[in-house]
Amino acid sequence: MIELSAIRVVYGRTWALRDMSLLIRPGVTGIFGQNGAGKSTLLRVCAGLLRPTAGTVTIDGRVLNMKDEDQRRLLSYAGHETGLYNHLTVVENLELFARLYGESEERAHEVLKRIGLSDRGNDIVGNLSAGLKRRAAVARAVLHEPKVLLLDEPYANLDDEAADLLNAIVSEWSGGDRYCLIATHGAKRVKSFADAGIILKGGTVVSYRIRESAEV
Amino acid sequence: MSVAIPRREPSFLSKTWSLARKDIRIELRSRDTLPPMLAFSLVVVLLMAFSLPSGTIAVLPRSVPVGTVPSNDVLAGFLWVTVLFAGLVAFARTFENEREAAAMDPLLLVPLDRSGLFLAKALANLVYILTVQVFIVPTFLLLFQVKVGEGWPALILVIFLADLGFVAVGTLFAALAAQTTSRELMLPILALPMLVPVFIAAVELCSDLFAGQGFGQIAERGWFGILVGFDAIFAIVAAITFEFAIDP
Repeated sequence: MIELSAIRVVYGRTWALRDMSLLIRPGVTGIFGQNGAGKSTLLRVCAGLLRPTAGTVTIDGRVLNMKDEDQRRLLSYAGHETGLYNHLTVVENLELFARLYGESEERAHEVLKRIGLSDRGNDIVGNLSAGLKRRAAVARAVLHEPKVLLLDEPYANLDDEAADLLNAIVSEWSGGDRYCLIATHGAKRVKSFADAGIILKGGTVVSYRIRESAEV
Repeated sequence: MSVAIPRREPSFLSKTWSLARKDIRIELRSRDTLPPMLAFSLVVVLLMAFSLPSGTIAVLPRSVPVGTVPSNDVLAGFLWVTVLFAGLVAFARTFENEREAAAMDPLLLVPLDRSGLFLAKALANLVYILTVQVFIVPTFLLLFQVKVGEGWPALILVIFLADLGFVAVGTLFAALAAQTTSRELMLPILALPMLVPVFIAAVELCSDLFAGQGFGQIAERGWFGILVGFDAIFAIVAAITFEFAIDP
C-alpha cells in the first residue's frame, strides 16, 4: 500500500494539499481534478520530488526517504516536461538511464519498440513533436520497471492511437503489486482500465472510488 | 515489457562516468559553454596584452625597485582572473541541460549517491576549464613573453591543482545558485568569497614560476600546501554537502 498521512503542502499562502490522508492500493489509480486541484503536487510528493510541509508518505510499510537508493529505484516519475536531454537522441537518453539503472541497452531498445518509437530512436529529442516527446518520456519512465509509476498528464499531446498504446503499456506493466498513479484531466482515457479513481478539489479528496473487481 | 537479461548493478564510478560523458557529449553537440568561455578568455588576454608595455618580461621580485610591482605578479594575476571569469561562465551553465526539460527529476530518482552527481558535474566542468586553458595558457605565455623554462611540469601541476579546488567550489555553488531565479547573479556572490584562498595560492605559485623558480622552490612555499589542503577539504566538503544543495 501507498499510505499518505496528513500530507500538507503550502506554497507561501497557497495550500496545495490540505492534510490529505489516503491509502492507495496496487494497480492503476487515476487522479482527476481541475487545474490547481493538487494533482501534480500529489504526484511529486509521492515521488519524493517535493518535500511536504507536513505529513509522511509510506510505501509498503517504509517511510519514503530520498536518501535511500533502494527506495528511489522503486519510483519513476514522468511530469509535465519530458525529463529527457534535448540535445541527445531518444536512444542515447534511454541508454543513459538504462546504464544508470543497471539495465541492458537491449532493454532500452525493447521499450522503444514497445512504445512505437523504434524508427525515431536516432532523432534528437529537442526536434521531436510534443506527442513523440511524451511517448519517449513514458518509455524512460518504465525503462527500469519501477514498482511505483507516477505519470502526470501523460495523454497531453497524444493522439488516440498513441494514447491507446500508452494505456496498453500501463495495463501490461501494472500487474501484481505495482502501483501506477495517473494524473489527468481526461478521465475518459483512464476510466476504462483504472482500478481506482481519486477526484481532488482544492487540495482535498472529494471522491475516492475503487473498482469492484479490484477490491480485495 | 519484461526482459530476460538480468540486471547488473553498475558501480558508483561507472554511473558517475556515464553522467559526466553525457554532459560532455551534449556540450560537443550544442557548443553552448566552451565557445563563450574561449571567446571571453582570448579577448581578455588580448586586452591585457595591450594594457602592458610591449616586451614586458617577468623578473624576480628581488630585482624590482622599492615601490613597484614585479611584472610576474601582475601576469599571474592576469592569468587567473581570466580563468576565474571563464570558469564562472561554465559553472553558470552546469545545470542548464537538466533545467531545460526538468531532467533533474529523473536524475534525482536514480539509485546513485548524490556525491556521484557532484563528481560527474565537477568532472565535466574540469574538462571545460582544462580545454580553455590548453588554448589560453600558451597564448598568454607567448603574448607576454613569459619564459617558464624547466618549470613547465610545475606550472601544469599548479594549474591542475588550482582547477580542482576551483571546480569543487564552483560546482557546489552552481547547484545552490541553480535553485534560485537569479542564478547568474547568485553564483559569483556565493562562490567568489570561498575561492579567494585557491586563487591567491595559484597566483603566488604561478608568479614564482613565471620568475623562473622550479618545483623544488615552490613546493617549499606555504602556498603550495594551502592549495593542496584547500583541494582536499573542498572536494570532500562539496561532495558531502552537494545533496543539501539539490535534494528537494
